[in-house]
Amino acid sequence: MGIYVLKRLLGAIPTLVIASLLVFAFIHLIPGDPASVMLGDMAEAEEIEALRRELGLDRPIWEQYLVWVSHVAQGDLGTSVYFQEPVLRVIGEGAETSAFLALFTMILVIAIGIPAGIVAASFHGTHVDQTLSGLTMLFASIPTFWLGLYLIFTVAVSLDLLPTSGFPSVLESGELSNLRYLILPAITLSAPNSALVIRLVRAGMLDVMREDYVRTARAKGIAEHAVILRHVFRNALIGVVATLGFTFVGLVSEAVVTETVFALPGIGRLVVQSILRRDYPVIQGIILVIILFYIVVNLVVDIVTTYLDPRVKLQ
Amino acid sequence: MTVLEGRARLGPAAWLRTASLAAAVTMAMAGPAWAQGTFNFAMTDEPPHLDVQVTTATLTTLVDMHILETLYTFNSNLEPVPLLAESETLSDDGKTVVIKLREGVPFHNGKEMTAEDVVASLDRWGAYGGRGKVLYDHVQSVEATGDHEVTITFKDVFGPWKNLLAFNNGGPAILPAEIVGSATAEPLAPEQIIGTGPFRFNEWRPNRYIEVVRFDDYAQPPGEPDGWAGPKDVTLDAIRFIAVPDVGTRVSGVQAGDYDYAELIPGDLYEELSNDDSVVTIREGIPDYPLVFFNSADGIFKDNYALRRAVMAAFNNADALRIAIGPEELWDAQGALYREGQYWYNDAGIENYPSGDLEQAKKLADEAGYKGEPIRFMVSSSYPVHHDIGVVFAQQMQDAGFNIDLQIYDWPTLVNRRAEPDLWDMFETTHGAMPDPVLYTFMNDNYPGWWTSPEKEELEAKFTGTTDPEERRQIWAEIQGLMYEQIPVVKVGDVFNFDIASPQVEGLLERQNMFWPVFWNAHKS
Repeated sequence: MGIYVLKRLLGAIPTLVIASLLVFAFIHLIPGDPASVMLGDMAEAEEIEALRRELGLDRPIWEQYLVWVSHVAQGDLGTSVYFQEPVLRVIGEGAETSAFLALFTMILVIAIGIPAGIVAASFHGTHVDQTLSGLTMLFASIPTFWLGLYLIFTVAVSLDLLPTSGFPSVLESGELSNLRYLILPAITLSAPNSALVIRLVRAGMLDVMREDYVRTARAKGIAEHAVILRHVFRNALIGVVATLGFTFVGLVSEAVVTETVFALPGIGRLVVQSILRRDYPVIQGIILVIILFYIVVNLVVDIVTTYLDPRVKLQ
Repeated sequence: MTVLEGRARLGPAAWLRTASLAAAVTMAMAGPAWAQGTFNFAMTDEPPHLDVQVTTATLTTLVDMHILETLYTFNSNLEPVPLLAESETLSDDGKTVVIKLREGVPFHNGKEMTAEDVVASLDRWGAYGGRGKVLYDHVQSVEATGDHEVTITFKDVFGPWKNLLAFNNGGPAILPAEIVGSATAEPLAPEQIIGTGPFRFNEWRPNRYIEVVRFDDYAQPPGEPDGWAGPKDVTLDAIRFIAVPDVGTRVSGVQAGDYDYAELIPGDLYEELSNDDSVVTIREGIPDYPLVFFNSADGIFKDNYALRRAVMAAFNNADALRIAIGPEELWDAQGALYREGQYWYNDAGIENYPSGDLEQAKKLADEAGYKGEPIRFMVSSSYPVHHDIGVVFAQQMQDAGFNIDLQIYDWPTLVNRRAEPDLWDMFETTHGAMPDPVLYTFMNDNYPGWWTSPEKEELEAKFTGTTDPEERRQIWAEIQGLMYEQIPVVKVGDVFNFDIASPQVEGLLERQNMFWPVFWNAHKS
């Protein structure tokens, strides 16, 4: 197992190198650079040039790339042009918010999506199934910015039950109660994602239900709930696990609208703001980190699948 | 079976449920995590950095107003009065000014401010700051002629010098010599922003907030409070500047009490919020104004004043402002560069202020020899009001028969393209009001648009070449008149932004004439 993991991680290196090249190229192709943003509208061309020189932005592109890549290879993601702080620290600040939000959201998605999917499949064709389908459509179609603003308006302002926005750190202050700032955002983000999981679980289970071994299990007299959970669901889960993994990774970027509405200091919002400000080191750093994260999650999903499905072996 | 035993029979699941419910209710009832005595200000975005000497970004100024001070500042009549300076003497020929500094004024690091710090700060600003160059082009030398005395020698008489030393936006903030002496074009890091102001920088959590805390050893300026001058009544422990880009969230935050103040609320919420008891609306006294620049250096408008007059004639500024902003209290379609009642106001040339006469525009275009060539008009998507006005104008110009190539970019791209004279014909931006007309971007030959002409150079030399206020006012009127003849830029109108505050906030300064909100006197009842 250990060797397998090592082989996979080593195999990821070419992916990372190609990704770094593409990211660097695309970002530098966009017109504009951080110097003019930092100096404000009334800056003259001469001042902007002076700052560009100081920041090393006037050097040839390939030279800038090599400098950056050599630093990355040593674990140094550079310094944010905007914040004048190490990129790792800037990302780290956002990582806490994004991690907690993604975790919270996944808990809700699993807690809502899986049971609802199981119920829909078990009662497929009935009113229960149709009602659930309708609700699923609703969750999938509501725009997140509308849902977020609506929740702020009703729960946070009118009912004054939860804060409207922001997220003070939990890890620094040690105050677990700060997690309440993420309740409304997690609900907002979980709506479209639970819809997806409900549909997947339902479809996966309906497929499995048609298999011969399910008929055999019933014929042997096993209780229906045991058939559903131990045989049907467990096998349907194989297909759902991969989606859950990618949903988790995708939440980081998907959350940008929610983070903007709730003024959360997360990675999604950070990367968009950094693009608008042309903060090259932060943009490049975040994308690399996300790709790395994606590779790790991919690996975990594959390993979990081998436990769920004995027919699949690691190679 | 006693009652207690009966209760003890409830299983762990039931206890867990009860405990969770209790925890949830407690958590929900706990107040916000911010400390008492902290003022929470919701801004539209984070500033690019805190080095106000090298940026005109308003967001930087909003924070630095509380940390850094200048030699002079503005009173409620927008006149420059001493702040870190105590007094000054101007020589008879107007070319030498000796400034006496206040004594016993500490920096946040405990060191006393001396002439050496002032000279180092001014020199760095003059070398690398946009506004600094405007002053230093006329400066021969800046020297410390005593521990608390600075002498500025000018090459020629330069009227705006005091206004420039007082204007903190992109201005000569005074920092310790050991920090600012080695500074270059690259902005100083937040920890290096050490000033003499009533608050000092505490921390900048990227993407979260910037926090400044009260400086207990602040040396109160003498005199009476008047505008930004005079002593300050500081009771707050800290101010937090929080980036909240979504305007709906800024508004909800103030309504729910999570923020004490939120800036820049769009006009379509003005009526509703004015009638909402949970917030106080504060309209700013000094407007911003959108401007449309013509390219004077290259392209179809170069040397073609007649064509510019034709294009301008198509603008219906009142319509554009109404569509982009909404309530009439928040905009004014007027053509002078200052408002009536302000010191620099005059009405030269404003009879040419357009009202959207499409027939006239077509006629003037024919006379100017326009043959349907494409006109490249750049507008930014980054600022809603500015974007909306631009889109309306593009339509109005098209209705008048002009072939408009509307190009919408995000702000950094627009700035990048606008530096190249062969890439555009018109672009739109918004400027804030200036305490001295010399600071208007179009007065600067190098600002994109690149307006130069013999008449302009002559008037500008006269304008800065005297310190006599009356004379300067008259020459400014002539310059405004010239603007309406040569039309380097079209003034769209006056736009009043508004902010909102919690009703518990007291002590905010009158906004009537002051450019930005400051919170040093604020407290929460």
